[in-house]
Amino acid sequence: MIVVATNLTYFLASLFLDPRANYLQLRPPRSPEEIDRSLAQYNLSPATPLLDRWWHWISDIVLHWNWGYSPVGVSVNTQIAFRIGVSAQLVLLSMILSTVLGIALGVYTAGRQYRFADRFHQALSIITINVPTVVASLVVVLLAIMLNQSLGTTLLFVAGAQSPTVSGFWPLVLDRIRHLVLPTVALTLISYAGYHLLQRSLLLDTINSDYVRTARAKGLTRKEAIRRHGLRTSLIPVATSVAFAVPALFTGAVITETIFGWQGMGQYFTSTISNNDINGVVAVAAFGALMTAIGAILADIAVVVLDPRVRMAGS
Amino acid sequence: MTANFPGPVPTVDLGAEPSTAEKRMTRARLSRRRLYLRRFLRSKGAVAGLVILGLLVLFALLGGEFTPYSYSDVDFAGLTAPPSPDHILGTDSAGNDTFAQAVHGLQRSLVIAVSVSALTTVISAFVGAVAAYLGGTTEKVVLGIVHFLLVVPSFLILALVSQKAGGDWRVLIVVLTVFGWMYNARVVWALATSLREREYVLAARFMGVGRVRIVLRHLIPNIGSLLVVTFTIGVVATVQGETALSFIGFGVQPPDVSLGTMLNDGADTVSSAPWLFYVPAVLVTLLTVSMALIGDGLRDALDPTSRSGGGA
Amino acid sequence: MTPAAEADPVLSVRDLEVSFPSEAGRVHAVRGVGFDLYPGRTLGIVGESGSGKSVTSMAVMGLLPDYAAVRGSVTLGTRELLGLDDRQMSEIRGRELGMVFQDPLAALTPIFTVGRQVVEALQIHQDLDRNAAWKRAVELLDLVGIPNAAARARSFPHEFSGGMRQRVVIAMAIANGPRVLVADEPTTALDVTVQAQILDVLQLARAETGAALILITHDLGVVAGTADDVLVMYAGRPVERAPVGELFARPRMPYTIGLLGAVPRVDSAERRPLLPITGNPPLLVDLPAGCPFEPRCPISVAECAVEEPVLTPVSPDGEHAAACIRAGHIADGRVDGAAIYPVPRAPVAPAAAIPRERRPAVLELDGVSKTFPLLKGTLLKRRVGSVYAISGVGFDIREGETLGLVGESGCGKTTTLLEVMNLRAPEQGSIRVTGVDVSDLADRRQERALRRKLQMVFQDPMGALDPRLTIFDILAEPLRAVGEANRETIGRRVDELMELVGLDPEHSDRFPTAFSGGQRQRIGIARALATNPSLVVLDEPVSALDVSIQAGIINLLNDLKAELGLSYLFVAHDLAVVRHISDRVAVMYLGRIVEIGTVDEVFDDPRHPYSHALLSAIPVTDPQVERTRERVVLRGDLPSPTDSSPGCRFVSRCPLHPALDATQRARCVAETPELTGAGGSDHLNACHFR
Ligand SMILES: Nc1ncnc2c1ncn2[C@@H]1O[C@H](COP(=O)(O)OP(=O)(O)O)[C@@H](O)[C@H]1O
Ligand code: SF4
Ligand code: SF4
Ligand SMILES: [Mg+2]
Repeated sequence: MIVVATNLTYFLASLFLDPRANYLQLRPPRSPEEIDRSLAQYNLSPATPLLDRWWHWISDIVLHWNWGYSPVGVSVNTQIAFRIGVSAQLVLLSMILSTVLGIALGVYTAGRQYRFADRFHQALSIITINVPTVVASLVVVLLAIMLNQSLGTTLLFVAGAQSPTVSGFWPLVLDRIRHLVLPTVALTLISYAGYHLLQRSLLLDTINSDYVRTARAKGLTRKEAIRRHGLRTSLIPVATSVAFAVPALFTGAVITETIFGWQGMGQYFTSTISNNDINGVVAVAAFGALMTAIGAILADIAVVVLDPRVRMAGS
Repeated sequence: MTANFPGPVPTVDLGAEPSTAEKRMTRARLSRRRLYLRRFLRSKGAVAGLVILGLLVLFALLGGEFTPYSYSDVDFAGLTAPPSPDHILGTDSAGNDTFAQAVHGLQRSLVIAVSVSALTTVISAFVGAVAAYLGGTTEKVVLGIVHFLLVVPSFLILALVSQKAGGDWRVLIVVLTVFGWMYNARVVWALATSLREREYVLAARFMGVGRVRIVLRHLIPNIGSLLVVTFTIGVVATVQGETALSFIGFGVQPPDVSLGTMLNDGADTVSSAPWLFYVPAVLVTLLTVSMALIGDGLRDALDPTSRSGGGA
Repeated sequence: MTPAAEADPVLSVRDLEVSFPSEAGRVHAVRGVGFDLYPGRTLGIVGESGSGKSVTSMAVMGLLPDYAAVRGSVTLGTRELLGLDDRQMSEIRGRELGMVFQDPLAALTPIFTVGRQVVEALQIHQDLDRNAAWKRAVELLDLVGIPNAAARARSFPHEFSGGMRQRVVIAMAIANGPRVLVADEPTTALDVTVQAQILDVLQLARAETGAALILITHDLGVVAGTADDVLVMYAGRPVERAPVGELFARPRMPYTIGLLGAVPRVDSAERRPLLPITGNPPLLVDLPAGCPFEPRCPISVAECAVEEPVLTPVSPDGEHAAACIRAGHIADGRVDGAAIYPVPRAPVAPAAAIPRERRPAVLELDGVSKTFPLLKGTLLKRRVGSVYAISGVGFDIREGETLGLVGESGCGKTTTLLEVMNLRAPEQGSIRVTGVDVSDLADRRQERALRRKLQMVFQDPMGALDPRLTIFDILAEPLRAVGEANRETIGRRVDELMELVGLDPEHSDRFPTAFSGGQRQRIGIARALATNPSLVVLDEPVSALDVSIQAGIINLLNDLKAELGLSYLFVAHDLAVVRHISDRVAVMYLGRIVEIGTVDEVFDDPRHPYSHALLSAIPVTDPQVERTRERVVLRGDLPSPTDSSPGCRFVSRCPLHPALDATQRARCVAETPELTGAGGSDHLNACHFR
């Protein structure tokens, strides 16, 4: 699947993107032949038949793990290697946060069905889940600016992943954190609500289930019965959905990284398309498909960890 | 615990009975619709959503009457001007009137969202129902295609294609539709296959009712409520997708205006000219949240097992 | 015997009232229940669904939801339980009070082994280390009859059958030797042969722990066989209370009398019509003053509507109490000597006058088989074998005749019906409907012509009616399907049909949700009759209904059969119903017919060991008979039919088999028994040795 999707993207990208455009604005203007020659070094020249280029491209990947170059000769491999790390910081952290927050809220509100706290968080989640990412992120920016202004100092940075001038271990860590907070909050904000609502409804189902009642009849209190018998069962589908949301998180990161000026995969995605960087686009697509696959595998692992029935059947 | 609430109270009111079958049926139909309406109106969120949406649509349709400017008019006298009697919502850096732009942007976003959602709903209903109805190889092939398209990084391809089209909103509608129908098709398919197994469908088959009639009389009406809900949720998803695409520059592109492009403009000046952000942000949020509330209300109202009518 | 004189009650319930808020108003689910439960005795609580039985038991257990309002008193020994908080109650639940629930499939946590769940029950109240608790858990599982308990304790619930899971639940309930055991419909979800096993296990568990048992059920037969005292509930109220023998012999409340008259008896060849109770139980919201049974009571008088009668002693010893102002006039099920429930006219079927052999066959099956692929794997389904759902099924149904098809769930009854209804050539064998072989059907027109003659009534009266069509459209559908287009004709026929099944034609513009279960089933029957069929196939048509409603439907079916000369193929797991309605009966086991004959032959003189066991498992609504008759309790569960090797399919559970000698036993395993009869009789069975 990954392979098919990636190759499909290669052809689509080659069809829709024209790397010659990158050279057209250059001064002094170059002749079409010159442009073709420059592009040919990067296996991007439209003069070469598409199939030949494809063959070249794929053998480079298979034989040398070389994903090609941008129209101006920047290596895709270097870019990706650097950017994955940047994005991973952001995505992993907010994934953990939103999962924990979502599940905790789900459990909390399920125990207080129809009371004020439940209704309040339900309303809040319905809003945050439906607000477009752009708006949510910009609201976070606005709030941060207001915070910084009221403090009279820049506590949280609204742009970039790090400041260029900081040195020393602890200052560096602190600097990273001050950059990381806002985008993480923004990403978490848009994704926790789904888990909250899902966990709440699943837990409510199990709270009212016969087996939780049986557990209470054995002599557990309501809380104990829910914790020991209801929670784990209801976690299984939530864990699966978290795992499957991994690729979606990266898409969400496109917006977040653009707004907060992070040089991550999401931002690479926009820049490769605007720069007609065919090889870069394809690498992003491959990365996306890989994420989907990893998500699916993670989902399986989560089920195995949480559901002893599967473990037994496997052994 | 079996929480079987007291048996359903008949709500179909029976006054003096008209004698012909004709009248009976229209009467019953009407009262059923009335029932849905009553259930829908019972949900406060849904009603609020409906009111908000109504106001938004009015604004998009009639807003132009309240400003002398068109969205493309440029006022060189007031670049990035804050709200003033002249420009109620201020102007942007190019001197466009924000109010006029908002009217146009909302129109654009609404048209895109509604048409994409309508198209994807129709396509997914058709594909899903046909796959379930025909079964066998057709079903397998269709599901295979659907599953493949679900794995493809569609956001990326979307961006690719619409970028190439230079921000034409009609192309955007097409690509959003092409990559938007699969998930719903799967849902429709799943529901239709489960309906296929229902006893009343079996009963109809055993009575010798033809296959097409079964689909028309039993399957479609019972899928109908799902489709209505799918449509509203589709609008939310499309608005989100469109604003995201336009924001990063691959959706609607200048000089055309949508809520997404307005957000893009506003983003750069969040602190210096916040009205440029507030206006589209408020509009788009109202739009998605109201649609989501309506969708929720409809889901409850149309669900035959729902309790929110005190029994039907 | 007056137990009150001997001991103090373990559990006393007084003036228990429970209500729930609902959109339609407060639901008064329980209104003044009171009883005493004595050590070692069994109290049966009976009543129709919604009468407040479960709510009563939940109130005793302290398991009602927070929003329930509870009043009155529940004392365990000397301790008042109402008003204790969840923590205090949890000390008592499981230790002093044990509970068994209705649906064993859902009652166990799916992700823990059964052993672990029993261990938990032990460790909550006893200070046992892991090993000791595990050992004790295995002992308990063994006690309740889990074969090979030490190994099976490591299984997950989904690897157990319903009956086995119910045993596990019972093991947990008795783990700490409770003083009171509450069982809420413990066998309702199970097959009769398994029900018999579970009732035995419950009695064993009760004897083992010396607990008192509250047995909640809607099945009067179960009560007759198991309970010492009985409490009858109606509309949240106890309406009659008596020792079991007294209650069945001398009921004093019209509702109880109605219930007893409404259930068919499996041990009686007499075919009198059942006595249905008209109407439906009241909604428990805003109950009007007066006796709640008044709208349905055939002997109500003006005072009945004034004040709700309370439970008052009607016997000298005060053990028997009834809540009816006319109880003093009632004796032997009659009021002042006159029948309380008018006996319906017994229908006379004209066809019965003609001997069976001379009547034409409307349905003939010969050697019909059907297999399903056995699939494995979640994503890619591989076929790993076959399920032999039915094999070599053959029988015929003559005009005006009812064939009852009985057997435990999963034995192939529904598959047989669907094979008939599909009107397609079966995998093997042949099916002839009104003399037409279905494999000869050339086109859809011929098929439709045949469908006219063949209609079906489904089990679930809700699921079989499209919720989005009016009753008119539902009844018109079969007419339109056979090509009737004239609105007037259809309209007239729909009115006719509504009247035929006892519904008001005026109501045909309502939707199915506006009708009660019994009424919906009437609509289902009306739809089946629309095209004037010769054969109606009925799949468990009354099993979803309460007994008082069920009786009306059974009578209706009998009347229609006589009036319209119909033939029925009738599937039901309730053998008493089958005996009441059928002329002939076929017993199925694992996809094969093991015995077939006239209903009296098979019920009074079952030949096949399986029929014998099946029939003996059915409880009779007569405590005297029920406690003295000999019962054959089968071992184990129904195996799944994935094996096509020759031999008798009953061999794993056959009670006769172990008693045979070695060569005979070998024959059971090696040779598939054929359906054969003694002499020329058409009472056939498929056992080599009977
Ligand atoms: N949790 C609950 N909330 C609201 N109503 C309930 C609840 N549980 C039971 N009831 C109502 O109480 C009445 C009695 O129910 P139940 O005790 O379950 O009857 P039974 O066990 O006799 O069938 C019914 O009308 C039922 O709808
Ligand atoms: S009190 Fe009246 S209505 Fe109630 S059961 Fe007795 S006679 Fe019938
Ligand atoms: S053939 Fe053998 S195993 Fe089968 S029923 Fe007869 S005795 Fe039992
Ligand atoms: Mg109950």
